[in-house]
Amino acid sequence: MYKIRMPKFGLTMEKGYIERWLKKEGGLVKKGDSLLEVSSDKISNEITSPTSGILLKILGKEGEEYQVGHVIAIIGEKNEQSQLEKDLGELNKKHLYQNISDKLPVKETKRINENIPNIKASPLAKKMAKENGIVLSKVQGSGPGGRITKQDILAFLEQQQKDDFKIEKLSGLRKTIIERLSKSYHNSITLTNSTEVDFTQFKKQTKSLGVSITSGIIFLLCKVLLRLKQFNSHFEKDCLKEYNIVNIGLAVDTEKGLIVPVLKNAHTLDIKNIQENIIDLSNRARINKVKENELNDSTFTITNLGMMRTDFFTAVLNPPEVAILGIGRIIKKPYIIDEDKIAIRELAFLSLSYDHRVIDGADAARFLDILAQHIEKPELIKNKGVDKK
Amino acid sequence: MKTITFSEALGEAILEEMQRDDTIFTYGEDIAKQGGIFGAYKSLLGKFPNRIFDTPISEEAIYGSALGAALVGMRPMVEFHFSDFLFTGIQSITLQIEKIRYMTGGQGKLHLLLRGPDGVSNSAAAQHSESIETIFMHIPGIKIIIPSTPYDIKGMIKTSLRSDDPIICFEHKSLYSQKGEVPEEEYLIPLGKADIKKEGKDITVVTISRMVHESLKAANELVKDGIDLEIIDLRTLLPWDKETVIKSVQKTNRLIIAHETWRRAGWGAEIASTIQEEAFDSLDAPIIRIGAYNVPMPFSSVLQNFVTPDKQNIITAAKKMMGEM
Repeated sequence: MYKIRMPKFGLTMEKGYIERWLKKEGGLVKKGDSLLEVSSDKISNEITSPTSGILLKILGKEGEEYQVGHVIAIIGEKNEQSQLEKDLGELNKKHLYQNISDKLPVKETKRINENIPNIKASPLAKKMAKENGIVLSKVQGSGPGGRITKQDILAFLEQQQKDDFKIEKLSGLRKTIIERLSKSYHNSITLTNSTEVDFTQFKKQTKSLGVSITSGIIFLLCKVLLRLKQFNSHFEKDCLKEYNIVNIGLAVDTEKGLIVPVLKNAHTLDIKNIQENIIDLSNRARINKVKENELNDSTFTITNLGMMRTDFFTAVLNPPEVAILGIGRIIKKPYIIDEDKIAIRELAFLSLSYDHRVIDGADAARFLDILAQHIEKPELIKNKGVDKK
Repeated sequence: MKTITFSEALGEAILEEMQRDDTIFTYGEDIAKQGGIFGAYKSLLGKFPNRIFDTPISEEAIYGSALGAALVGMRPMVEFHFSDFLFTGIQSITLQIEKIRYMTGGQGKLHLLLRGPDGVSNSAAAQHSESIETIFMHIPGIKIIIPSTPYDIKGMIKTSLRSDDPIICFEHKSLYSQKGEVPEEEYLIPLGKADIKKEGKDITVVTISRMVHESLKAANELVKDGIDLEIIDLRTLLPWDKETVIKSVQKTNRLIIAHETWRRAGWGAEIASTIQEEAFDSLDAPIIRIGAYNVPMPFSSVLQNFVTPDKQNIITAAKKMMGEM
């Protein structure tokens, strides 16, 4: 095998940009053939192959920049293909998303057996391969003398299709999710209001208390929900059942899918109790150890995608509830504060999705406003959260 | 429908056309008194004594006189007794009959039909067993028809007797006694149109004459091997029905050409070459040609069988083509 590296056009060149590959992976390459187009900040060049062989693997992607000397392709003999694929597979597993080309255990030889046999294929097979973008060297021929025939191409295409996807039967949990979400989506009119909230102080406070952002928000949420009870209610038939207690549903992402365990009587808990309880609930949800009664009776649900890269989103209602709060990512941004000064603040979006049949847009705006004010005035946590203990 | 023999169908065609058109007359060696050496004229015995008559053994005179008669407006149909004997009068055909229409700029019509038996029979040896249709395909100027069934010979002879071009018709000796269905009512078969004798999906077999029947036998036997032949009877060798063959090859992606004449430079080479030129991308296997070994026909029946292709050659070729051998 032979490693093709990012070339150095001039003394000052450090990186090269791959414009496009001129050969296909798996195809034959002759010494001197144009392999790819590379541009530096100064010039653009066609790179010719220093050796003949099969272009076993293209590692450098079109439109990406690579350091000079970085391995961008492997040329070798056909019988080396399977070993290379195996090595690549293992490296990929170990170094997810990382650049692996320099870690390849390629035994580099400068000499490649140039006696590459002509690939035998019927005219029809060649035409079909061309139409379907199949490189013939990857197809096993079954005809006389190993000739690739129509049948071989069809078999290859079929295999390729099988490799393109796998069919997994939906789990019971997923079926429950589908049923609930579809029902909710079809039976309600879900709208979403979003607002950007300054979390700078809040984050400091929760950190000093040793609790998570979610715990802090739940604590504050209870106050708001007991004030605007229409959000802490169930809509069933013609009635809106407004609760005087707060049971918070927590959307938890598990391997098997979404589970919503319920933090019961959250309004009676102080912030540290909330923290302990939600850690316990979500941990057990992830290992499928939540009891049946811990999944019922929520009056309001929150879902937090902030630890991942989502800022605002529409959550689907958890019926018979009428609203759900989505918490986005907290990120530092330039922000205008008092007296038109620009400061770096930690901001995040809160998204309130609600059933517009029973909640007006203005109510939703009020809800977000009050909640945002609580978050931006963290004395509430400081005083009441700790006071309770 | 009625079931009659190949020679009865030929006789019906000649009689019907002679009744319709009194410029038609026919002559040759041993036809009027004997009914033809292989019985082709048996059903015409005693009919039209002035328009069906015997000639001396002189091919040059027979073909040359037909040329003259055609040029003055008659429609002569001559029998060549054995296709091998065409060589003894060949200059009348290749230098005159095949050239006149062209050299007169189409002014001289040449409604002239040469017909007679060809192919192997029982130990008729080297001078009485040949199939020489390729020679006439090679030299421009004459149409070639080679029917394989009573239905085809009747319809095609009738069409030929109404044509203004010189036509040569080869009738395999083994076919005269074969029976087949022929409609009661009158019909014509256009020249240049192939007939798919059996539809199939795996291999196209292009063939004519006796080899049509050998191909059909091969197809029957190959059913148990799961190989499905499509059998195209060209019927007219010149002009041959390229469209039908290409369409079939586009479906099956494989082609065998089977003829009794010699394999070397036989007309199968012409078909194979045309198909690879015009349907290259449809081919999934090399084209196989089946023909006789390149030797004069031996007298020994054992050797004759060895030299002459039959259904077994087609079965072997088909299995090889499908990768089973």
